[in-house]
Amino acid sequence: MGRIDAIRIASGMGAIVAWILIWAWLTRPGGPVPTLYFPAPDDVWTKFVRMWVRPYIGSTLIEHILSSLYIVLFGWTVAAVVGIPLGIAMAWWTKLKWIVFPIFQLIRPVPPLAWIPLTILWLGIGDTARMSVVFIAALVPWLMNSMLAVYSVDKLLIDAGKALGASDRQILMRIVCRTALPTLVAGARMALGSAWSTLVAAEILAATAGLGYVAVNASQLLDTDVLLVAMFLIGILGISLTALITIAQRFLAPWSFADVRGTNR
Amino acid sequence: MIERWLEEIGVTSNRAKAKAYGAISLSSLLLLWILATSVLEWIEPRVLPSPAQVLRQFFWILTEPFSGLRLPGHVWVSLERWGWGVFFAMIIGIPIGVFFAWAPWFKTFANPVFELLHFIPPFAYIPLAVLWFGASTATQAMVVFVAAFPSFVINSQLGVSQVEKIHVDAARVFGAGQFATLRRVVIPAAAPSIYTGLRIAISNGWMALVGAELVVGKVGLGFMISQGQENASVATIFVGVITIGCLGVTIDTIIQRSESRILPWRKNVMVNQG
Repeated sequence: MGRIDAIRIASGMGAIVAWILIWAWLTRPGGPVPTLYFPAPDDVWTKFVRMWVRPYIGSTLIEHILSSLYIVLFGWTVAAVVGIPLGIAMAWWTKLKWIVFPIFQLIRPVPPLAWIPLTILWLGIGDTARMSVVFIAALVPWLMNSMLAVYSVDKLLIDAGKALGASDRQILMRIVCRTALPTLVAGARMALGSAWSTLVAAEILAATAGLGYVAVNASQLLDTDVLLVAMFLIGILGISLTALITIAQRFLAPWSFADVRGTNR
Repeated sequence: MIERWLEEIGVTSNRAKAKAYGAISLSSLLLLWILATSVLEWIEPRVLPSPAQVLRQFFWILTEPFSGLRLPGHVWVSLERWGWGVFFAMIIGIPIGVFFAWAPWFKTFANPVFELLHFIPPFAYIPLAVLWFGASTATQAMVVFVAAFPSFVINSQLGVSQVEKIHVDAARVFGAGQFATLRRVVIPAAAPSIYTGLRIAISNGWMALVGAELVVGKVGLGFMISQGQENASVATIFVGVITIGCLGVTIDTIIQRSESRILPWRKNVMVNQG
């Protein structure tokens, strides 16, 4: 924090204002861009304010937001509950890795959203279908990073633990889990990003509420201003979720920032 | 038990063991699938078709047109859309990325918008693309473009900013102008990082393409899957999903293998973020 940061923030703000002005100029009445294709900034803002109180396709904006967040966080959490223990176990017992890993290698190249039609067919268009797609999207990053997290543990620390008489269980809980936390947090972030973008696709295909659902309906009804509100919100919520994880990392694993600052090691 | 059996047949090294275990695991999965569907008939074919049915569907789509095209036709349409998207992302993204690193004032100006657009998932652009271009190749290509563009910008910028300053200075001393320095020193040095960007762009673009095709279009692999959903034909979905997965792996392997040919001067650059 200091003068350099202040200058950076100020120039960032200035750039945003400049872009909004350019946008307003391009979409002005009689301007080069017709508002049917791209709405003016004030229209988007008015729509945004109105959508908080007046329901759009069945729900107010906050209900759409909560619906999206609920599904993404649910799928992400379940993926964590399954992925972390499995990933750690796979790194710990090599044989388990040999057995499970090939199956994941088989599934991994398929984009998570390619499963959407299958889940719709199997589970209908309810919340469960979207949750399971989000689960699939989040599972792979969780699992891979939990595995990498265990591998990232310094062998020396384990040997030291052994030499001091720690049991396998103690080594796993007291050394492995703690030093692996930063990699795990990175996995959490990747999983959330993947879950969020897959959810949007799932909502476009089959949903009754949610921001992706708003976007696809707005596109069909030619409500470009609503469409932009939905897109911006999707982007801003994505940024906020990532920021929350970074904040959580500061609390849970403050030591993971030490290396970035460049202490002598 | 398995361990001893493997050692008896001469599998001792860890690598070979890993392969043997993998083979056992995958083949038991396949066996379970066959057992559950064809032999014991626990699961109705409507819910999960047997491997034989999936294979039959595969050959059927291979020989008989499915909504107008045979399987290679769908593959070709998908590849074409994806190719256009990645191509435009490349010719626009790389110069912008280089310019970001070359002219910091431009980065200050453009970065906030770039960051915001970058954080909107490509799929969220699908409705906008549909609105702009209708159901044409341009729609899918635009979604691919949106997915591929950021990794070109980020990685070319990273590559350029990592160029050794002393090399640039040396070129200047020897009388190279701005353009010559850029072309002869900066770009070759940044190329490995840009290539990494290409790899990320290609796989992101492939993923986005599937999403776009699921929503809009009358042909293509994604359309095939969504058509399978409409017809309640799980076998068609399986054929589509497997084809998409195989193509994704093939493309990535080709790109990875050809790297040392295209960039012979590359040693080892550990830039891996996108």
